Amino acid sequence: MRIYSCHFCSSPVYPGHGITFVRNDAKEFKFCRSKCHKNFKQRRNPRKLKWTKAFRKAAGKELAVDSTLTFAKRRNVPVRYNRDLVETTLNAMSRIEEIRQRRERAFYKNRMRGNKERALASDKKLVESNPELLKMRDVELRIKEEKRIAREERKRQEEEAADQQDEEMDVSEEEESEQEQEEPQTILLKNKRRNKVKF
Amino acid sequence: MAARAQFENSNEVGVFSKLTNSYSLVAVGGSENFYSAFEAELGDVIPIIHTTIAGTRIVGRMTAGNRRGLLVPTQTTDQELLHLRNSLPDSVKIQRIEERLSALGNVICCNDYVALVHPDIERETEEIIADVLGVEVFKQTIAGNVLVGSYCSLSNQGGLVHPQTSIQDQEELSSLLQVPIVAGTINRGSNVVGAGMVVNDWLAVAGLDTTAPELSVIESIFRLQDNQPDAIGSDLRDTLIETYS
Repeated sequence: MRIYSCHFCSSPVYPGHGITFVRNDAKEFKFCRSKCHKNFKQRRNPRKLKWTKAFRKAAGKELAVDSTLTFAKRRNVPVRYNRDLVETTLNAMSRIEEIRQRRERAFYKNRMRGNKERALASDKKLVESNPELLKMRDVELRIKEEKRIAREERKRQEEEAADQQDEEMDVSEEEESEQEQEEPQTILLKNKRRNKVKF
Repeated sequence: MAARAQFENSNEVGVFSKLTNSYSLVAVGGSENFYSAFEAELGDVIPIIHTTIAGTRIVGRMTAGNRRGLLVPTQTTDQELLHLRNSLPDSVKIQRIEERLSALGNVICCNDYVALVHPDIERETEEIIADVLGVEVFKQTIAGNVLVGSYCSLSNQGGLVHPQTSIQDQEELSSLLQVPIVAGTINRGSNVVGAGMVVNDWLAVAGLDTTAPELSVIESIFRLQDNQPDAIGSDLRDTLIETYS
């Protein structure tokens, strides 16, 4: 049983998993799951989808060109079984895997090197272009102070209002009657004007 | 020596087996009868290998080969490939071919020196054939059929082609292949001669239905009993034409 790799995402396809598409020119496309198959049917380019191995390799995020990656491939010319050969091959496989992992780690480290400095530099630039960010504490304190003053002001006003209400209770009725009288007058005026316009 | 055999009630011997001068492939059958027919003739002379190709029993149609090499289609599994390598002698090269036309037995017809191939076969495949089998490759059709492997059976001594091949075509093929060619049938009038029989330089196995005249044509054209192929010209052709015209 051969463990194929998915045409779309390059993950291993174990026996009994996934689906195979055979094109008219007899090329086989193996997919690890329906997600990959559906994406393929939508004619999406695996190099443009961030979750595929093809993207990561194309974008330089993973080891793409390396001698340790050239060992695993389909061979069309078989070699006769030889116990010693099998033993050395098995040993070599684990050794190569070890080397590959080490190189991958080195590659990652190399890729991430200088990130700290770069982040620091960009932060510095940001602060330089927006100097008020540095005085964040002052700004906060000022806002807090303003809020406190405003709150006290409101409190004071409310108290004053409460004192006044008791005095104004008698006056209010007279005012209301005055207002009622005024309103019909304005309506009459409006009607007059409308009538004028009509004629 | 020409023998008659049957694979599980089927006369198409060339479908279920492959015979060359240095090895023979036989399909894995329900009983050993078919295998025994080969073993009786070949015995210890050349290895006879039970195998499947791509999980199927139609080994004769899937593979192409001669004394020097064996070609198997791309669907052949790694296990089958390894089994063949371990069973065949080291002098025989084995290669898996990535070709759209995967029934190599139908599209390639070869002896130890020349090969006729399907006209649509790929350029790289052609090179691999020339390389692995050590033959000269010609793109050809037989009586208008592109499946040269089905309609022609070829050995180093002679060749049998589709019964409706014209005399000019026969002459052309014969000059191309440098062996005498005759048109004929197998298995009581079947025209798929490649699929109906297997042949090498000293043995031919045909289906159980093959008639005596058909078998005698085979014996003389492939020189299996020290007959001169000229004998067909005089007496046998008349019988054949009478029967199948």
